[in-house]
Amino acid sequence: MALLLDWLSTAGILFIIASGLLMIFGVMKIINFAHGALLTLGGYTAYVVTQLDVAPWLSWPLAFVTGIAVGMLIEFFIMRPLYKRPLDAILATWGLSIIIGQLIIMTFGREVKFADTPLPGTWSVAGMDYSAYRLLLILVAVVLCAALTALLSGTRFGVKTRAVIMNEHLASALGINAGRIRFITFSLGAGLGTLAGTLITPLSSLDPAMGIPWLVTAFMLVMVSGHSMLSLMVTCVVLGACQMLVSTYTTPVIGGLSIAVLSALILRIRPKGFAYG
Amino acid sequence: MIEPALELQEINSGYKGAMILHDLSFSVNPGESVALFGKNGMGKTTLLKTIMGYLPKRSGAVRLFGKDVTRVPTHRIANMGVSYAAQEQPLFADLSIQDNLGLGLTNESEFDARFTDIEQIFPVFKSRLKQLAGTLSGGEQKMLLVARGLMMRPSFILLDEITEGLQPSIIARIVEALKWEQQEHGTTMLIIEQNVPFALQVVDRYLVLKQGEIVASGEADSAESAETVLRHLRV
Amino acid sequence: MDNAAVTTPVRERDRSKKTTLSWGVPILISVGLALLVLGPWVFDGYLLSILIRAYFFAILAVTVDILWGYTGYLTFGHSAFFGIGAYAAGLMFLHQGFSGGTIASGLALAILASALVGGLVGWLSFYRGASPFFATVISLVLPIVATQLLLSGGTWTGSSSGITGYETFAFSLSTWYWIAGGLMATVGLVGWRIVRSDAGRLLTSIRDNEERCSYLGINVPRVKIILLIVTGAVAGIAGFGYGSFSGVVAPELAGFVLGTELIIWVALGGRGTLWGPMIGAILISVASAYLSSSIPFAWQLILGTAFVLVIVLLPQGLIPLLIKPFGFGRQSAGVPELVERPSTGTKSENTDAAALRMEGVTKSFGSLNVLQGINLNADAGELIGLIGPNGAGKSTLMRCMSDGAARTSGNVHLCGRDIERRPPEDCVGFGLGRKFQNANIFESLTVAECLRMAGTTLEKPALFRRAPTLALPPYALEVVRKTGLDAKLGTVAQDLSHGEQQALELAMVLALEPRIVLLDEPTAGLTKTERTQIGDVLSSLAHKYKLCCLLVEHDLDFVEEIATRTVVLHQGEIVMQGTFDEVVNSDLVKTIYSGSHPTGQEASK
Repeated sequence: MALLLDWLSTAGILFIIASGLLMIFGVMKIINFAHGALLTLGGYTAYVVTQLDVAPWLSWPLAFVTGIAVGMLIEFFIMRPLYKRPLDAILATWGLSIIIGQLIIMTFGREVKFADTPLPGTWSVAGMDYSAYRLLLILVAVVLCAALTALLSGTRFGVKTRAVIMNEHLASALGINAGRIRFITFSLGAGLGTLAGTLITPLSSLDPAMGIPWLVTAFMLVMVSGHSMLSLMVTCVVLGACQMLVSTYTTPVIGGLSIAVLSALILRIRPKGFAYG
Repeated sequence: MIEPALELQEINSGYKGAMILHDLSFSVNPGESVALFGKNGMGKTTLLKTIMGYLPKRSGAVRLFGKDVTRVPTHRIANMGVSYAAQEQPLFADLSIQDNLGLGLTNESEFDARFTDIEQIFPVFKSRLKQLAGTLSGGEQKMLLVARGLMMRPSFILLDEITEGLQPSIIARIVEALKWEQQEHGTTMLIIEQNVPFALQVVDRYLVLKQGEIVASGEADSAESAETVLRHLRV
Repeated sequence: MDNAAVTTPVRERDRSKKTTLSWGVPILISVGLALLVLGPWVFDGYLLSILIRAYFFAILAVTVDILWGYTGYLTFGHSAFFGIGAYAAGLMFLHQGFSGGTIASGLALAILASALVGGLVGWLSFYRGASPFFATVISLVLPIVATQLLLSGGTWTGSSSGITGYETFAFSLSTWYWIAGGLMATVGLVGWRIVRSDAGRLLTSIRDNEERCSYLGINVPRVKIILLIVTGAVAGIAGFGYGSFSGVVAPELAGFVLGTELIIWVALGGRGTLWGPMIGAILISVASAYLSSSIPFAWQLILGTAFVLVIVLLPQGLIPLLIKPFGFGRQSAGVPELVERPSTGTKSENTDAAALRMEGVTKSFGSLNVLQGINLNADAGELIGLIGPNGAGKSTLMRCMSDGAARTSGNVHLCGRDIERRPPEDCVGFGLGRKFQNANIFESLTVAECLRMAGTTLEKPALFRRAPTLALPPYALEVVRKTGLDAKLGTVAQDLSHGEQQALELAMVLALEPRIVLLDEPTAGLTKTERTQIGDVLSSLAHKYKLCCLLVEHDLDFVEEIATRTVVLHQGEIVMQGTFDEVVNSDLVKTIYSGSHPTGQEASK
């Protein structure tokens, strides 16, 4: 039972981490290397909220809004000139992550910090006590997945976004401003990144490099899952299980690598990943 | 003096390494329908792409309803009431018929009102709105393309070889739809065609494009117009 | 290729211009060499040891530049090979002691392990249809896996603190300086020779246009894998040197951060120049060593900001810009002499078999059947015009002839050989040549280089030099001469006119000495003269040289002029074939082209 909950919460965390990256990758075919730095930024938002001694919950909206604002700036100044040079766009986002990382170090220092959890204690599930916050994250992941799916397939914004993904020329001939769609998705994706950083911070400690290991994992999950939020969820559940099993039966270090290595192999054998069934 | 709906002034346009249109000038008056003929590779599609703002590098000027749109991005040209039916990949195959019809609307709430007209003209789409556009037959897709244009209630329609590969019955349906639109809303049209008889049924005037230049023009109603066009295309 | 536009260095465009080498180049080279020789007397000990490290890193930067700047493969993981080399030294000397034997086996281990990992990563990253993104993704995983393995190696690898305290070479600082400098100069010079050689142009070709490469019979994944193995081994050697010198090896040497720093050095230095990244690596390493103690955080911030600015505003890098006044970055374009190549005859076996045989070929995308049961034979000396309305499946049919993976079912034989599911490069090996509709050439190569690339499968290009002659089969020479390309051999392909580019692509395809030539709308966008020229060329190919030519064409007049047989494709089926008049005057074809209006047929074309 504990294993099951571990598994589900791992999958949930993976989904939360990767969703912002997928948002951006889906629309622009660009991997946002600043995602790791955005996670870190979100983490420090939680720290700031803890320091201010206000309700820890406040870090959620605060991180989301900060991320969106940062995303807007990045899209406007850096990404826009680089859409025709996708590999350079990746590099530029990496450069940005260095800048964000250094600014964080200059502001908060290098030492490890901690942030308060909004939901301490445990909940009882089937007669067993389990970390309430981890359970909450499962819920958050499900809600996030449902909300993003609804946004992308149910709303007019979603239809327009999909239209831009499928055929940008045709979309613009119908009066859709592809540039604005990209601007919105990039900002939203960045906001999801910082939100994810805030959400995972109470589970562990906080340091200026915390985002980097997550970046590659999230990256591989997105590459394997293709374009839809649902398939990302499935990917997180499947590969989360693999990670759990490998960590349990070998060492956590190898477990940590399992997602990246497995994803690489999956993509080598089946380049489309989990998309299209 | 009436402002032309479309005015091209000494347009030079083309792709990297290949200029296709050379100092092309002509205009289309409001409410007028014009057909543009020419062999493949003579720059007809290039012309439409230039008007729509897909091809950025060019000299000369394009004016729509008196406004200079030479450097205006495509989506804003579309929002000025220009509907463009491209020859290649004109539809979103993975979106539903409803989404395809509705994407061009500035206000989604107008969908139902406008669709009542459309389903009169193209009953084939009735109660199939949720179907994916990619699952339609070739002829149905072309009708959807025309229907999408009419849904936008445009002031200007650009059609690129809409009849290509179609059965006569479907071509007749498209003629009907375009004529209805002209009478009902007085919409201006610029039509690129290989099918001369079809085009001459729909338009008031024609132009023949050759090597990126206009070599002939005339009224569409005269009995000799088809012959004239064909003679120019043969040479 | 998306990245072609990005990575086309300004330098290459300059080569077409007639420029004389200024004195700047020899002066700068002499200064550089003098510093390498005189360093120990000029620099103090601290700077020397920093420079020694920097030289090892510079070697690494050169290998990354070859992969990224020249070949277009963006890698974040080349540090892993450096780490492998460094740990080979550290582990060997720590656990086996320091002796002549362990030096040799340590170095061998560094090279072999790097090469092996290079091969494995290459296999994972480069395969048919792999996106450049994917290869970059894999390159990210590599250093992370490497670091984690080193961290979990316990006392054997020293975990996070690494290995230290092993016995190593008792050289003086000066000796190390000369070793590192000498190694760097050697790698730089050999790399310089190779990238400028005929074989080296292959790398740029791959960066420019992978599709064209494989349709010239070049096995692109294999070239990239070999390249990764070689550059990996060189990086391993550099790492071994670093590990032996510093006496400390830590997981960071194999890590992601160093991997990305490499990219920064190369980008700031100037990708695709070799010496730019080298200088970039040295300057930034030295500056980091001094500044990271005085202004640690700001220095990283400056570096990050500079990196972003350079990527956005100056993709060719900083140093080429600074050194340009000295005349660096200009090379004279040696133009080879054209000679006729006697038929190599490699593809003349099976001459009695039909050039092309297709049986029951189908292609469907999901439920949509684009081709349904195509049977088509074509013999040597035939000139077949394939016509049909747009969307009839003509282009798909061409793809099915030239790429084994394209069709859904059915058989295709080229010159009597079953193409099975083989890639285009194998089809080319069977005797196929394919000319695309849009001029599919190598934009940053000169005309001569493009033509030489086309002969790669017949004549191995030289690895260290440029051949003085360029051999082409007689019919390819004919195209080059007739279209005036022979006067433009030194011109960069993207500066040619549309018609010249089309002619160049045709000449490249013919340089393969194909037995069957596919052409997709060869007359599109051509002037009247060019159109006549290409008609003459095609006729002579079929009638004089007995090649089988198959062209998709919209211009029916052109088909009428040259085709010996006309094939009509409609809705994925061959509905008719015969002479042009038979076909065009048939009611069936009239109907297809015009709906029901018989007069519309003429208007169609």
